[in-house]
Amino acid sequence: MSDATAAGAATPAAETGDTILELRNLQKHYGPVQALKPATLAFRRGEIHAIVGENGAGKSTLIKLLTGVIRRTGGDIVWNGSIVALDTPQEAIDHGINAVHQEVVLCRHLSVAANIFLGDEKVRFGLLQKREMTREAQRILDGMGFSLPAGAMLGSLTIGQQQLVATARASLRGTKFLIFDEPTAYLTRQEAAQLFALIRRLRDDGVTIVYISHRMEEVFELADRVSVLRDGTLVGTRNIAETNDTELVAMMINRSIEQIYHKEKVPFGETLLETRGLSGKGFEDVSISVRRGEIVGFYGLIGAGRSEFALSIFGRNPRTSGQILWKGQPVDIRNERQAIRLGIALAPESRRDQGLNLNLPIGLNINLPIYDKLTHGLTISGREEAQRADKQIKDLGIKTPSRRSLASSMSGGNQQKIVIGKWLNHGADLFIFDEPTVGVDVGTKAEIYRLMADLLKNGAGIILISSYLPEVYELADTLHVFRTGHLTGSNAFHEATHEEVLAEAIGV
Amino acid sequence: MTTTTEVASKRAVAARRNYSFLFALTLLALLVLLWAILTFATPNFLTSRNIPNLLRQGSMIAILALGQTFVVITAGIDLSVGAVAGFSTVVIAMLIQAGVPVWLAIIMTLLVGLAIGIFHGFGITRMGLPPFIITLATLTSLRGLGLLMTNGATINITSKEFTDFATLEFLGIPSLFWMVIVVAIPAYIFLSHTRWGRYLFAVGSNAESARLSGVRVQFIIYVAYSLSAVFAAFVGVLLATRIGIGNATQADGWELQAIASTVIGGTSLFGAVGSVHGPLIGAFILATINNGANLLNVNSFWQRIITGLLIILIVFFDQLRRRNK
Repeated sequence: MSDATAAGAATPAAETGDTILELRNLQKHYGPVQALKPATLAFRRGEIHAIVGENGAGKSTLIKLLTGVIRRTGGDIVWNGSIVALDTPQEAIDHGINAVHQEVVLCRHLSVAANIFLGDEKVRFGLLQKREMTREAQRILDGMGFSLPAGAMLGSLTIGQQQLVATARASLRGTKFLIFDEPTAYLTRQEAAQLFALIRRLRDDGVTIVYISHRMEEVFELADRVSVLRDGTLVGTRNIAETNDTELVAMMINRSIEQIYHKEKVPFGETLLETRGLSGKGFEDVSISVRRGEIVGFYGLIGAGRSEFALSIFGRNPRTSGQILWKGQPVDIRNERQAIRLGIALAPESRRDQGLNLNLPIGLNINLPIYDKLTHGLTISGREEAQRADKQIKDLGIKTPSRRSLASSMSGGNQQKIVIGKWLNHGADLFIFDEPTVGVDVGTKAEIYRLMADLLKNGAGIILISSYLPEVYELADTLHVFRTGHLTGSNAFHEATHEEVLAEAIGV
Repeated sequence: MTTTTEVASKRAVAARRNYSFLFALTLLALLVLLWAILTFATPNFLTSRNIPNLLRQGSMIAILALGQTFVVITAGIDLSVGAVAGFSTVVIAMLIQAGVPVWLAIIMTLLVGLAIGIFHGFGITRMGLPPFIITLATLTSLRGLGLLMTNGATINITSKEFTDFATLEFLGIPSLFWMVIVVAIPAYIFLSHTRWGRYLFAVGSNAESARLSGVRVQFIIYVAYSLSAVFAAFVGVLLATRIGIGNATQADGWELQAIASTVIGGTSLFGAVGSVHGPLIGAFILATINNGANLLNVNSFWQRIITGLLIILIVFFDQLRRRNK
């Protein structure tokens, strides 16, 4: 425990610090989607301020707003008493606001020293002073307590060590406000300890640290105060000494369930899919089954291995061991076409990267899986092609004037409908929906839930993957929880509480 | 709100359809304008000698550009088409001189082209090489191989039946131009009315999405490069009939003319945008500029500069329009 929190209960040290940055009704919306609802919060000079929340709670939005990556749509950011624009990343850096991101964004082919001095190289007569920079970088790294070679290529270091280099780089140049986004995700215990030591030292030097993490134990070890975000709302701020993990978890999930989760009980039929000890890249030893009429939910944090598992069932990624049974028969699904032929459909996680051909017409997207069926002799029947596309557009209420509109011109909700329409058009027994409601407005969400109910009634089975707990919690007949590639819990409908499920997912 | 976005979107669709139509029309107008200017500028342009000549010259680049278009739609590029055409003149010359019947020699040459295309597909999908690299490698290798096979010499084709073909005319139109039509009609049906055409666009737009929709992405890559190489081999055959020789150094730099024609014709080098008529018109615009410059006694070095400027200009305006939407 740091000195600050030890002194905590009576007068938290942070309370004595004056305000360095203040959010006044700061908000951000993308079209009708509220990513961050009006938030008011004051960060103090020389405090470690943790921010916790589920995926999609608005943490990344907040970071991007503070680092000038995106522009706010309302409210003010007050820096040292005056309102600032923060329109560009450079402006944020000029003020002394810096961030260390989850993924390292440095140049792998340059040396550690070159990365640290990137954009601020030491020159004499227009020539790089390489040796001097290496010596200086080594001095800085040693001073921070990092045992890293300044002359080595960045790419030759582990991801964790690269993260430390990124931290060193970000904490230089008069940084007064430093944001860490899940910095320990790839660090070993020892590296994490080095990082924490540096963070505390920066704090003692008067730097404000914003620390974003899923890991409760780190928050309690490191932070002076903690703020909780939920569904884009800043729920509250606590002094760390006056709260505990139970309260924080409750704040993270205790939401008003305003959305209506449309669920109909459908009698279960035969088992469609069963996996036995399935392993592959990103997941290990996963055994699940899906019956007709059943929604099987996968909950977990991003990167927990749920999507990797789904892609493996769909034949996109190879499995390394274990068995897949389809309708009771062992099958070896080696590619996507085979999975589709068996009767599996996948609405993948990323519409942009996996789900849609954005710069092509909606109609082409919807018909893409069935062009062999539309082909008579050598050519496609244009009339049939149009009919099939128009049917999905009408049935799903895709708001477009024409099937010829480009998929990219549609909103998130309509894009998701195109992805779903593509598979309704093709037909399947097992539908895998990976994060089907991300970036989708409330109205369309309800429509998607209704559609799932219809699919179940028609005898299909569904795997629903979601990082949004209420969604899987209210819809799944069986709820599996993933953490770091493993199944950490399997619960029948409403068998476990929200708190228990979240605990299984983040391993409190 | 819904109605306004709908109206805006409807307008966008209409604008886009009008746009691709207008773009084709603008290109065609540019071609006609060039012809009109040249007709007035020089008495030698609109003659029964020059026009067939121009058509013959443009035809071969047009067919190359058409094959190239399939590849570019998949967001790839084929730098080897000129070399494939040159190499094919050697192959067909050797076959005919060896006494192989002309029809069989043509089929065998096209099969050689197919093999080259399959090799490109293999390099891209199995070896993971960028299209630029693998086709650059065949560009230089095929020139070398062709020279090696002939020991650097030129093979004269003595079959009159074969070399007469290029000089034939049907309905007053040179045979080589008829070949463009013979190739373009199936190409149009293939690109616009078969599933393979749809898949080419899908792969060029987002290969991962296409794959997850059950499209055999690797096979489509093979198809695109095979078509391009077969078209190039076909151009090699036509070139051999025209010049009556087999020589591996022929068709030098034609790959750049083919790519230029494709791009002038509105094909996007980022993939998923392209047509059959675009590269054809593009090829004849380029041919007209070269022909006109010759007739006007413009220094041939200038022709190259003008061609370069034209590419920049047309593609720049096209990008400008796309960006504004």
